[in-house]
Amino acid sequence: MVLRRLLRKRWVLGVVFALSLIYFLTSTLKQEERTFGDRTLLELRDSDHHIRWKVRFNLGNSSRPAAQCRNSIQGKALLTDELGYVCERKDLLVNGCCNVNAPNSQQYICKSCLANGCCSIYEYCVSCCLQPDKRALLERFLNQAAKGFKNLFTAVEDHFELCLAKCRTSSQSVQHENTYRNSQAKYCYGESPPELLPV
Amino acid sequence: ETPDFISTALRSSDAANWRIVPRKNPASDYPSDFEVVQIRQATRNSLFTLQDHPYIKRVTPQRKVFRSLKFTDGEYPRAPCNDGRWTQKWQSWQSSRPLRRTSLSLGSGFWHATGRHSSRRLLRAIPRHVAQILQADVLWQMGHTGSGVKVAVFDTGLSEKHPHFKNVKERTNWTNEKTLDDGLGHGTFVAGVIASMRECQGFAPDSELHIFRVFTNNQVSYTSWFLDAFNYAILKKIDVLNLSIGGPDFMDHPFVDKVWELTANRVIMVSAIGNDGPLYGTLNNPADQMDVIGVGGIDFEDNIARFSSRGMTTWELPGGYGRVKPDIVTYGSGVRGSGMKEGCRSLSGTSVASPVVAGAVTLLASTVQNRELVNPASMKQALIASARRLPGVNMFEQGHGKLDLLKAYQILNSYHPQASLSPSYIDLTECPYMWPYCSQPIYYGGMPTIVNVTILNGMGVTGRIVDKPIWQPYLPQNGDHIDVAISYSPVLWPWAGYLAVSISVAKKAASWEGIAQGHVMVTVASPAQNDAGGELTSTVKLPVKVKIIPTPPRSKRVLWDQYHNLRYPPGYFPRDNLRMKNDPLDWNGDHIHTNFRDMYQHLRSMGYFVEVLGAPITCFDASQYGTLLMVDSEEEYFPEEVTKLRRDIDNGLSLIIFSDWYNTSVMRKVKFYDENTRQWWMPDTGGANVPALNDLISVWGMAFSDGLYEGDFTMADHDMYYASGCSIARFPEDGIVIGQALKDQGLEVLKQETMVVDNVPILGLYQTPSEGAGRIALYGDSNCIDDSHRQKDCFWLLDALLQYTSYSMMPSSLTHSKSRVPPPTATDHPLPQRLEGNHLYRYSKVLESHLGDHKPRPLPACPHLSWAKPQPLNETAPSNLWKHQKLLSVDLDKVVLPNARSYRPQVRPLSPGESEAWDIPGGIMPGRYNQEVGQTIPVFAFLGAMVVLSFFVVQLTKAKSKPKRRKPRVKRPLYLQQQQQQQQQQQAPHAGRTPTV
Repeated sequence: MVLRRLLRKRWVLGVVFALSLIYFLTSTLKQEERTFGDRTLLELRDSDHHIRWKVRFNLGNSSRPAAQCRNSIQGKALLTDELGYVCERKDLLVNGCCNVNAPNSQQYICKSCLANGCCSIYEYCVSCCLQPDKRALLERFLNQAAKGFKNLFTAVEDHFELCLAKCRTSSQSVQHENTYRNSQAKYCYGESPPELLPV
Repeated sequence: ETPDFISTALRSSDAANWRIVPRKNPASDYPSDFEVVQIRQATRNSLFTLQDHPYIKRVTPQRKVFRSLKFTDGEYPRAPCNDGRWTQKWQSWQSSRPLRRTSLSLGSGFWHATGRHSSRRLLRAIPRHVAQILQADVLWQMGHTGSGVKVAVFDTGLSEKHPHFKNVKERTNWTNEKTLDDGLGHGTFVAGVIASMRECQGFAPDSELHIFRVFTNNQVSYTSWFLDAFNYAILKKIDVLNLSIGGPDFMDHPFVDKVWELTANRVIMVSAIGNDGPLYGTLNNPADQMDVIGVGGIDFEDNIARFSSRGMTTWELPGGYGRVKPDIVTYGSGVRGSGMKEGCRSLSGTSVASPVVAGAVTLLASTVQNRELVNPASMKQALIASARRLPGVNMFEQGHGKLDLLKAYQILNSYHPQASLSPSYIDLTECPYMWPYCSQPIYYGGMPTIVNVTILNGMGVTGRIVDKPIWQPYLPQNGDHIDVAISYSPVLWPWAGYLAVSISVAKKAASWEGIAQGHVMVTVASPAQNDAGGELTSTVKLPVKVKIIPTPPRSKRVLWDQYHNLRYPPGYFPRDNLRMKNDPLDWNGDHIHTNFRDMYQHLRSMGYFVEVLGAPITCFDASQYGTLLMVDSEEEYFPEEVTKLRRDIDNGLSLIIFSDWYNTSVMRKVKFYDENTRQWWMPDTGGANVPALNDLISVWGMAFSDGLYEGDFTMADHDMYYASGCSIARFPEDGIVIGQALKDQGLEVLKQETMVVDNVPILGLYQTPSEGAGRIALYGDSNCIDDSHRQKDCFWLLDALLQYTSYSMMPSSLTHSKSRVPPPTATDHPLPQRLEGNHLYRYSKVLESHLGDHKPRPLPACPHLSWAKPQPLNETAPSNLWKHQKLLSVDLDKVVLPNARSYRPQVRPLSPGESEAWDIPGGIMPGRYNQEVGQTIPVFAFLGAMVVLSFFVVQLTKAKSKPKRRKPRVKRPLYLQQQQQQQQQQQAPHAGRTPTV
């Protein structure tokens, strides 16, 4: 009886309500946090629609010498031009193309690349990715996997840009955010992320 | 007497109405040759007469100086008070890692601070248009407004129809929130400082804005979001990228590599240096990278902002020495920028300073005709060469000085590709700019002084040093008295590399005193962009000036053990003070020039010479040093080190150890789920590695315990605070041990119980027995000499211990103290064991894993410096090295500014319509994101509960005042009693209340 009367008092009810409110708020907020932290959930959410990519594979024209080349710009020692040649920086011509006659220039070279499409040197990854026979692989990637990168691959315009972007390390390259899945072969033109190496 | 000849002087003129204004301040107790004279009439004549008087040096008109108070903020989380209520909060350890990348301006408190600090409004300097203060309008008038430059803002987004922006090219979202809009205001503010076109104007209103939303409204962000967003920025060929974010994890390799990749793709990165000042060693990544422009904050009176993080970089520890960062400073306190929806607000933080520079860089880039010349290195070179040095501030606080937009414009527009150095000269005598170098002269036999210079190469993304750097001592200026060794990056990529100059005194100057000078000459080559096979080269001189003194006596020399200090990153090394739950990691480097800076300064002022040992104990000549100082060591010891130290102490070296806590149960308790890396983090040591230390000192019958104590006490008339330290478990019988009554913090952490333990042995002094052998002093807590979270310093204790170890002078205040306790010999208490399953071997230089067992590695070879072969010159250096070291062959006169006026103060009055849009800077919170997630939930819950409670209180009071309709009912005696009791106990609110049943 005492208990029942106690329960009818306003302040008791108030305290009970306040406590439940606290519990409710903490638990919902905590849950929210968990779902926010989870990236995969988000990626699944998008899976119903395909991204529209506008890559034009300008195949065949990569064999003829171009007047002006784009190249991979960033390399410490090597560069890859849009024709798929890898050369040393000193062998780069004024027009941005590799000097194809230089002894170390090679086209479509997959040096340092593994079977899963991951390479340890970025420039070789780009060159390998530019091989004409990689087109099917890249199209499959654009149709299926690229949405994980959100905006990135919708803005890519051609084969060279696609390879430059695809070979870069990305959200797919890391585990625990601050370590590479595979610090040896981290530049991938293929569909799968780098093979996970044990710590 | 001064008044006498003033009156004589004035009598000769016709000034009748004058008086000497009496000094009414404490300074009037002291004599002065200065007087304030008030003259009411015939001023001109009397002034001349006064000036002509032979005893009067100068007459200046009186100016009254008004200054605002410069206190920053009361809510800086300094030491919390011991209110005894904190015990319940231990659970919040599990929250998450506060040390993730954070946006660098705000704690949530700021955004909600409306009017809380209203009283401070009048004291603050009125926030001004930062673009106009930096004279951006001069460049605007010349028609440069940032057009054609692509700027990326990596932040919290921007709403679509913000009235301040006319050229938002694209907004992208890289977070998991489905919005592009800014829910915090941070991103809008940053974008506004760069490119706002109205109200609070930005620097480059016509620039092309690319908004990257990488922070959620909860300030969450992940490395992986950044990686994808950065890739997009490269694809879009962004020119300038502002990152008002930072975090301490410079070992986040995917992120660091990606930033290199960005700058290698010619993206000029501008980033905030961090809000963790005034502590040193608090630089944030990516601003601490050589290829990034790291920006610190100042206020409008040119003081370094308190919050601005200080150098040096800690990547290079323990073997090397940190680089100079920030690169430049600019206004970051009370700067006005765009409000979230409209209008303007003012904001403080280095994340405000960063867009100021990013905006300036954008504007500068748009002024250059040949955009090919603008790259991350040339822009940085122009900014640092033009920066205006602030007086009285050292290089680890101000970098190269304050941003000077117009001068940078001049330099950039007469720039031709070249290499340059940062710092551009080494003058180890120049104080305070070259602190800490200038604080201690060098001498023969000392550890080499290392200066870590950054080479910036504007010629190309990659470069190399041709042949070898050359050391050329100036013979007339005793250059042959020093030896120089140089190490450098094999490849300068991207745009930069290091040049580490180690300076040592030659043997022939062992007892010489004086200044020695010379220079290092470096030639940098880069592949030429426009003709195949060619190379661009650039030669730079690095002047060197050092002060040499005769080698001080052994007793004056203290060696600081850096080698055995480990820190975050990479591992979880917990704080030394367990109460600092919001800053759980030990991340400041534990160096005498970072978070042990005050201790270093103190030792210098006491006449000690402090050197740093960045190599194993086997690598120094102990006969040179009086005391080896080991503070808060986390590393293990090689068996060879243990043996060598024992031999050294037998031969007269003394040892002082400041230990810290190590308790495996507490270590398990302070593990947390790190949301950034999405894994559990278990500490690899305690505050210090006590089991390893015990291995080191066990030969003398000493050991530390796994006890964990905390509390205030008085020792030798000094107030002391023991912040999470251990006690001494074993000590030789003939040693002196001091005990104190302390709280058992271990019990508090684990069981939330409070227990005071008497006579906890915390300090031990011991003279080792053999002839001429050294002394050992142990103390269980390092917090009182560490700058981070220190509450009460104990430098006096360090002095006393050094007196004892160096001069064998037993401090009487300690020996005759009442707190002396018998040395603990108890063998009943087991010594602490290493935490099972710890991963110390991953971060240790000593351990390696052998089939699950952790064994010491083979002892590494001691570092060996190969001294550069000197090429003496018969010339003398200019007296002022700094002025002579600007960028090479930049002809400033060529670039003329139209009406380039000197500094005009522009205090902009408040226009009436605007005032309510202003926000009051609520001071800088060290804005740690996780802290917020960890604590907003309880805060929300608490607020909610308070709302509910207050509702009921209101109801109750209403119920009290309203006459209640009573239901007829029988009162039971039991109830009456209860009510009476209630009435007696709580008279006020519940009295007279009748329950409605």
